[in-house]
Amino acid sequence: MHGRPRKASKPEDEAASTTKAQKLRALQTQFFSFHHSKIYTKEAVELSAKLLEINPESYTAWNYRKLAVEHYLSQPDCNPETVKSVLDDELRVVESALRQNFKSYGAWHHRKWVLSKGHSSVDLELRLLDKFQKADSRNFHAWNYRRFVAELMNRSEKDELKYTEDMIYTNFSNYSAWHNRSVLLSSLLEKKAEGFLSKENLLPEEYEFIHQAIFTDPDDQSGWFYHLWLLDQTVTTDHPLLVSTWPAHGSDVFLVGDRCQNGSFSPFTTVLSDSGSFPIVLYFNQPVKGVSSSTVIIECGFNKNEELLWEPLSVSNSQTAQVWVAHLKCPTSELDSSVEISVGYSKEIVSPRGSQYSHPSTFSFKVHVQPVERDSSRVSVAENILWREENFKVYRAQSEESIPIPSFDQLCIKNGHESTASNWRTEALAKEVECFRELLSLMDCKIGKLTLARLLMAYDVMSFPFANKLVHSEEVLELYNDLMKLDPTHHRYYKDEHSLVLLRKMTSSEESLLQHCFQYKDSVSSAIGNPICLRLNNLSLSRIRAFERLLWVQMLDLSHNELESIEGLEAMQLLYGLSLGNNKLRSLTALEPLRKLKSLRVLDISYNRIGDHSIDTTRYLCSSPLSHSVGSELNDVALINYWEAFYMFKDLNLNQLDIVGNTIADEKFKSVLVKIMPLLKRLDGELLD
Amino acid sequence: MEMESFSSLTVTERDQILVEQQVFNIFKTFYNIPPSSQSFMLELQRENHVEYLTNGLKQLGPSFCVLDANRPWICYWILHSIALMDEFVDPELEDNTIDFLSRCQDPNGGYGGGPGQMPHLATTMLQSIHLEKLYSFIRQMKYASGGFRMHDAGEIDVRACYTAISVASLLNILDDELVQNVGNYILSCQTYEGGISGEPGSEAHGGYTFCGLATMILINEVKRLDLSSLIDWVVFRQGVEGGFQGRTNKLVDGCYSFWQGGIFALLKRLNSTRGEKSIPLGDGEDSGPDSSETTASSDATGKGLIEDLSQGGSHIEKGDQHDTSSRVNSKRHAKVKPLFNSLALQQYILLCSQDLNGGLRDKPGKSRDHYHTCYCLSGLSVCQRSWLEDDDSPPLPCAVLGPYSNLLEPIHPLYNVVLDRYREAHEFFTGS
Repeated sequence: MHGRPRKASKPEDEAASTTKAQKLRALQTQFFSFHHSKIYTKEAVELSAKLLEINPESYTAWNYRKLAVEHYLSQPDCNPETVKSVLDDELRVVESALRQNFKSYGAWHHRKWVLSKGHSSVDLELRLLDKFQKADSRNFHAWNYRRFVAELMNRSEKDELKYTEDMIYTNFSNYSAWHNRSVLLSSLLEKKAEGFLSKENLLPEEYEFIHQAIFTDPDDQSGWFYHLWLLDQTVTTDHPLLVSTWPAHGSDVFLVGDRCQNGSFSPFTTVLSDSGSFPIVLYFNQPVKGVSSSTVIIECGFNKNEELLWEPLSVSNSQTAQVWVAHLKCPTSELDSSVEISVGYSKEIVSPRGSQYSHPSTFSFKVHVQPVERDSSRVSVAENILWREENFKVYRAQSEESIPIPSFDQLCIKNGHESTASNWRTEALAKEVECFRELLSLMDCKIGKLTLARLLMAYDVMSFPFANKLVHSEEVLELYNDLMKLDPTHHRYYKDEHSLVLLRKMTSSEESLLQHCFQYKDSVSSAIGNPICLRLNNLSLSRIRAFERLLWVQMLDLSHNELESIEGLEAMQLLYGLSLGNNKLRSLTALEPLRKLKSLRVLDISYNRIGDHSIDTTRYLCSSPLSHSVGSELNDVALINYWEAFYMFKDLNLNQLDIVGNTIADEKFKSVLVKIMPLLKRLDGELLD
Repeated sequence: MEMESFSSLTVTERDQILVEQQVFNIFKTFYNIPPSSQSFMLELQRENHVEYLTNGLKQLGPSFCVLDANRPWICYWILHSIALMDEFVDPELEDNTIDFLSRCQDPNGGYGGGPGQMPHLATTMLQSIHLEKLYSFIRQMKYASGGFRMHDAGEIDVRACYTAISVASLLNILDDELVQNVGNYILSCQTYEGGISGEPGSEAHGGYTFCGLATMILINEVKRLDLSSLIDWVVFRQGVEGGFQGRTNKLVDGCYSFWQGGIFALLKRLNSTRGEKSIPLGDGEDSGPDSSETTASSDATGKGLIEDLSQGGSHIEKGDQHDTSSRVNSKRHAKVKPLFNSLALQQYILLCSQDLNGGLRDKPGKSRDHYHTCYCLSGLSVCQRSWLEDDDSPPLPCAVLGPYSNLLEPIHPLYNVVLDRYREAHEFFTGS
């Protein structure tokens, strides 16, 4: 009944249908009596057919017929001919039931059951389906049944592909057909069927095809959804790749016991190692699992017998993550040692979809140790970072210094085919860009602009390792600015995309990054040295990403932006000081990525909106708090109401926290914080005892 | 690829334009009349709806023959709709209905018709439910792939998973064995669009997405889904008419007010910080180490969420006893923006789906029926509370479109049962 129009009834119709109902009632009584006594005579079976013709949803009758069929087939005098005639009868009953209601689950399922017996001709099925699919081209029962039949008769997927084409030419809005096309193509590509060996030849043809639909009527949505799928197919490489590491390939890492010691080394690669170890970070292009001491081989002069423990950096605590970290013990001698790390020579690193990491790569770096005894109490008390404008001095790079950002080709990709294999992708994207520029010259079209922005960005990212420059970022930013004005209901989405492009642009080259690097220097802070701070403040960023370019950052200023989430920040394992002041963070749990930052000592989350709302709708993308496991240490009753604070802060080793200017930060809350973090030295600038 | 040309306007587009015209005409009329008449147009015609529904329970017209096998469903649609409006059925009629439903239980444990009707009536049907037999029935319907069959030798799909798991969870008979592989099956049905399809390979669909998501929550495996693409898919199913479509590029339909709208209700709970239940209370009533880490085990399955909804924040009350007011938890009336346009959906339901003579429908031009009445009203209830975290407090007047008397009873979004009825059933089956 769902979705089917009914006509208003006239009195005479009503009388007729009352008679019909009475007839049905009588039929039913008779049917159940046959069913319960297991009577499968011809008369009884015919009666069930009558019942189903009136009411195809009567699944008890369908099951009765299955029992009847089994009964006939098990008779000793049963021969191929009777089998065929029995099953043909079933198909006829189903067909007339479907005529009554072609959304009947029971009828479609009964047909599958009959065909699975393997005695009926499948060829007729396609003809029947054509009829039904013409009548209701989006009936998902019919599409499901079609996939079933095609598989049963071993019909080639190419023929089915042709069918979707025909359906699309009949009505290019038919998204069911586009959907089935994507399912078929995925399957053909996976099987490497003849003519479908690679996306390289296939996708350009698909683009041609979809252009016809889109150009015919840009207002129809089906084509755009399919185009988005194609774009995804174009840009995603099947196999996971290592895109960035810390330490970077070829870099020199200086490990110091005390920050004020670092005068003579590059501030970019000098790391405080008071914990006796330093992190190694692997950053992949997609989430992977299986990173372990057997898939990542490390060779170095020190630390010979210890197996590294690789930890996935994901807030959801799953064993799949895009970023992995392990901690390597510092060499005990002061000698310089080199470290070589090989990733993926055994095959266990895989994406969740099951694609193997297949581009084994090796990177190496040198470690220099400068162990210094230090009086920790003295230093800690004095440490006080003030995120004030006057404390940041423009950084002037020493001539030989460079920021250790690994570029893609530095990772010694042993398999050299990747660059040529990507050519077709870049070409396909370039062609699409041209095509949508043309479309936009003909008409003003929101989805066209959005698509062009996505295409340009994808193009830049893809050609980036070679061009080392994002050629189109200005144009993309302009498109998103336009879209924000044109389509205010989706303003925030465009704003997020705009932020991400901006970040990509700023982090794309050493030159542009250096413009945001400042040296921290205040009047009293000799104890913390003069670290480099990356300042991405005042940019009205609503989202952040591009962390693969920022793994080296130890001090980061993100203040005065519009951040509601800091998803992904967990990758920045070297972070020591972080300012998130004057953003739009709305809950403590939005800070979850920070829990993975073991080096973080100084945090500013002042002037946010924490505590304004009891729940935060922006956290849909983060892990569910259902998974939070709070330890049994939480004995203090007063803390129960502050479990979020407890959960967030108990594992952080903060020395300094600024939280003023949040609804949540009253005196009581601050006293709880002090309890949770016994190591805290300063809260909102005040020295604690 | 051969070049043929597309005709410029497809059937789909023509149909869409016609629907838009109809809907916009209604809206235009609405905006051009004086406010007093506007308020009347937006009023939920409770009396007429109840009358239409009650008549349905007494006797259905002969044209309902095709629904004969779904009689328990019709009972559910009608009784649930009546309960949403906080109305009661005449006791004699209720007894008759219960008597009818209890006769639907087969000696082998299952119920004829869908099991979804049970929660609603659970409290009054207690004596007649044979739990052990019901369990073994559900167990028999389980299929190795992780899916469930709708009935003996019936079809396997996400709908079947949902009905099996939700009934088992409601009756407190869910265990590891029932849960095994269900998550894998549902995962295999999430499409590249983000929504969930009825079976692997099929298209993402509102009803199945609701069923799949609810099932994943019930078995505590919801994080395995790609939730961000699921959200992406569902937000784009709300159209210019204000209502939801069930699939990409299909027409708006009132019943998806619940199937799609209910997804938002589920997502909202998923992220409510109050879902946390594993905190030891520190006063001897330690909930123990069990709940936080167990995945899909018999007693911890999705309980955080379920109890959160059923008990309305018991740990807050606990806290209050100890006189520890909390800023985090005390703001229980916080206004939080839903991820869909709740007022636009209410406008569609009230102006376009409502038959002023009683009953609700798919869209203008279609006839009312009990199915659409049930799911339009359920969707309306979800909308009215979409700004709230807490179902126990009344929503703000600005969240309820039309007169405040339009306010319906809150539902439990995992089961689509009126919350009070759910709690009664929950108490009975958990023995608390």
